[in-house]
Amino acid sequence: MSTKGTHIPDWLTVPFAGITPAPSQEKGQDLFPTGNWRSIRPVYRDKLPPCNNACGTNEKIQGYLDLVKRGKYLDAYALIKEDMPFPSVTGRVCYHPCEQACNRGQYDEAISIRAVERFLGDLGQALARDVVKPGKPNGKKVAVVGSGPAGHSAAYQLARLGYKVTILEKSPKAGGLNRGGIPDWVLPQHVLDREIERLVELGVTIKTNVEVGKDVTWNDLKQNYDACVLAVGLTEPNSVRAEGENKDGVLYGLPFLRDIGMGTSKVRLGARVAVIGGGNTAIDCAREALRQGAVEVTMITVESNPQEMPCVPEDLHDMLEEGVELLHGRAMTAVLGNGRVEALQLYPARFSGAINASPITVNREAPAERFAVDNVIIAVGQHASLTWLPKECKNERGTIKVDRFGRLGDTNFFAAGDIVQLGSGQPLMVVNAVGDGKRVAFNLDKVLRGEPLEPRKVPVDVIMDLNRMNMTYFPHFPRVRQAMLPPVRRRKTQEEVIQPFTEEQAVEEASRCFSCGTCNACDNCYLVCPEPCIVRSARSNGLYKILVNYCKGCRVCIEECPTGCLEGVPELDFDTGVVRMDTAFAISPGLHGRQAQEMLNLGSRPAKEI
Amino acid sequence: MPVIEVQRQALPILDSPNQGARFYNPDLPSSEPYVPGHRTCAGCGPAIQYRMTSKASGDNTILVGPTGCMYVANSSYLCTPYNVPWAHTQIGSAGSFTAGVAAAYEAMIRKGKWKGTFPNIICEAGDGSASDIGLGSISGALYRNHDCLIICYDNEQYANTGIQASSRTPYGAMTTFSPPGPKVPEAKTLYPKDLARMMAAGHPHCYVATASVGYPIDLMNKVRKGLNHRGAAYLMVYTPCQKGFVYETPRSIDLGRLVVECGLYPIWEWNPEKRAYDYSFRPQSMRPVSDYLKLQGRFGHLHAEHIANLQKFANEQWRMMGVELPEALIRAADAKNQVNMGAAAEAEAVAQTL
Repeated sequence: MSTKGTHIPDWLTVPFAGITPAPSQEKGQDLFPTGNWRSIRPVYRDKLPPCNNACGTNEKIQGYLDLVKRGKYLDAYALIKEDMPFPSVTGRVCYHPCEQACNRGQYDEAISIRAVERFLGDLGQALARDVVKPGKPNGKKVAVVGSGPAGHSAAYQLARLGYKVTILEKSPKAGGLNRGGIPDWVLPQHVLDREIERLVELGVTIKTNVEVGKDVTWNDLKQNYDACVLAVGLTEPNSVRAEGENKDGVLYGLPFLRDIGMGTSKVRLGARVAVIGGGNTAIDCAREALRQGAVEVTMITVESNPQEMPCVPEDLHDMLEEGVELLHGRAMTAVLGNGRVEALQLYPARFSGAINASPITVNREAPAERFAVDNVIIAVGQHASLTWLPKECKNERGTIKVDRFGRLGDTNFFAAGDIVQLGSGQPLMVVNAVGDGKRVAFNLDKVLRGEPLEPRKVPVDVIMDLNRMNMTYFPHFPRVRQAMLPPVRRRKTQEEVIQPFTEEQAVEEASRCFSCGTCNACDNCYLVCPEPCIVRSARSNGLYKILVNYCKGCRVCIEECPTGCLEGVPELDFDTGVVRMDTAFAISPGLHGRQAQEMLNLGSRPAKEI
Repeated sequence: MPVIEVQRQALPILDSPNQGARFYNPDLPSSEPYVPGHRTCAGCGPAIQYRMTSKASGDNTILVGPTGCMYVANSSYLCTPYNVPWAHTQIGSAGSFTAGVAAAYEAMIRKGKWKGTFPNIICEAGDGSASDIGLGSISGALYRNHDCLIICYDNEQYANTGIQASSRTPYGAMTTFSPPGPKVPEAKTLYPKDLARMMAAGHPHCYVATASVGYPIDLMNKVRKGLNHRGAAYLMVYTPCQKGFVYETPRSIDLGRLVVECGLYPIWEWNPEKRAYDYSFRPQSMRPVSDYLKLQGRFGHLHAEHIANLQKFANEQWRMMGVELPEALIRAADAKNQVNMGAAAEAEAVAQTL
């Protein structure tokens, strides 16, 4: 009988009160440690959400979405900055592999992760001082060649580790591909400028107009710095090997964008422009051509339909909205005209899939087509320009030869970004370069500290699958859409096409996150426990304590865990586990000797461990 | 002698986006009136209900427990898991005992012998006590309108004594009093007593509601509404019994949702001010009854026509709530479209096609 609030007559206190102490909130009814009924123990074990796994730099996406959901924007920004130096940039330009991997995509619509990232990035830009601090100086100097995504990321991580970093950039402005390869209506220059300011605030020196091989030699790098990261990127545009490619009016994709980005463009486009290629650069070129005054833009691809094009589908959709025409299954074989482009010669073509020869098969039997244009922009990829590099450091693909840690042999030279990833099967995207730069920075740090290099380990063993979650707790909610400029207006201005999220929109979108496999403190286990042996007194994100003295192992909490963080582990797997007793009706724990003592000790272990 | 005004508690109603089906984070008191260490079975539905109810009502609560499984399992060896005053009473006297507690506190406060606010007085009667043996005394307490909340935790049988049929046991359920056999293949032939509607119709001045452990926020809100109601309140809560229903223990909450989604346990409120039923609660989806039945061993013997009978019963409940029935559920009420429970694989196939 509970004695709280009840007057107990004297004759009842002895001997009954000694045998039946009142239950307490802290200890429960400790006469009956029902935990010995259990054969399966619920355990909180955080798994890897698919978005974190798919991200090129393994941003802790679930983590920052959860923080945004709770209104802790600054914490969320700090979390994103662990892996990503410029969320305001990737929040605009990323091809969001996270959203393709999002489990919610199989349920209704994927979370708009990129838009939330941009919201956080813009928030960080508005801060007077950044949340990231430089590391304690360790007196070592590192040179980073190139200030594109990979170089920026490597320099950022090295500065946080305490290195004195110098970036060598050959262009007059830092930013690399972020500045030269991405048009202003996707990534305004002032956003990138601010991110580069942040890098300088971390203590990184940026030397512009310094080209390796011309102003600085290979030996200079070797002598003046403790280590060096080569993140030079792919600078030279590929040609399509067509006749007459040297005629006036033939432009190449990346230089075309780069000159506009650097403000040094002198190009004046005619009314009819053709773009050769079907990738992301080709799409940017086509859309930029409209803004540069072209009236009719046609995109000529070898791919036979839009699905095969190696590009982000959303960008393709936006491009078609702006009025660019598509012409599929054609290859350009010659540029016709008298000193200046007048027309293109096109033949039907398809991809043959050949590896060593040209992968494109052109059907020369078919009649040639004449396609009249004023300008043609060729955007079929880039290759490296590595004349300054010692021969033994190059490989057969024309890129830098590195081991799996990004290191050049046994030297203190490392390479990161497109210059390594071209042809390696990795997508050549900003976020992949950032991730590569980050990993190389950590490897470089290990080498300089004399630690052995180890392949990257995924922090948790399981990538969470939709089938292991309880979908009852997730009603269908539509994705929050970002506002867009109307297509008519887009063609005239350099304004950003995609509009940012408001605070309400960001919170609403973050609230849609399933938190796959990760405890987000939803209180569900706490509410449904019949004992109740789940306590939340020491509550933080994902910290509940299960009183194993009492848990009967009914597994209701595991079944009802919306995110699948809780899982059942057979009791025999615990070396200091509960040994079964013959009866649960113990008068006092002392009667069970060692077993009971073990159970008491379990309670003192930290919650995460139990 | 000056008359002292009785101070009553006003419990806040919990915010529940989309009827408790999103993330919870409810604003609940941190104190735990019901503590671990009780001897109910693993995954016990009534224990979940007990915990949620006491959590919602808070520390200033007096619990009354007439005989039932929650009395027997919780209070052996003179020891109970309650951190609030609790008293046992006979199975037939649930209502009269509770009425006495409520009346005593009113009188004590009025006479100045008890300082403090009026406690939440909750009677936790099983369905045996509430629908059979103690029906008269509970009806009396409701009729006299004592300020208390009487909860019937409905596990649809006498589970305390080893699974005997009560008047709340559903049609077709196997108990030790209603075993299936060649003469009576459907086991229990009678349909359950509609206890909550009976209480609402007979005592229209009381707050009456049904709830299920599958919807915790809804359940806790109804407990608080019942306690805030000035006068008697009655709540019938679906609480699955793992031993009697014969299911896997993790499905306790799941069954609480499925029984509502199948229409076998309509969730509603009786509004004493308007004297009208409030049927606004809607589960996330509507399902055929076979989805619910196939999880439980007590329905494992059913033939196609019995399942169709249960579907007919569920369809009538949906119609009573004014819900438009989908074509699939009307078809499922025909025995031709059902298969015997024995063929579990076939039953699965039927569930998929609906």
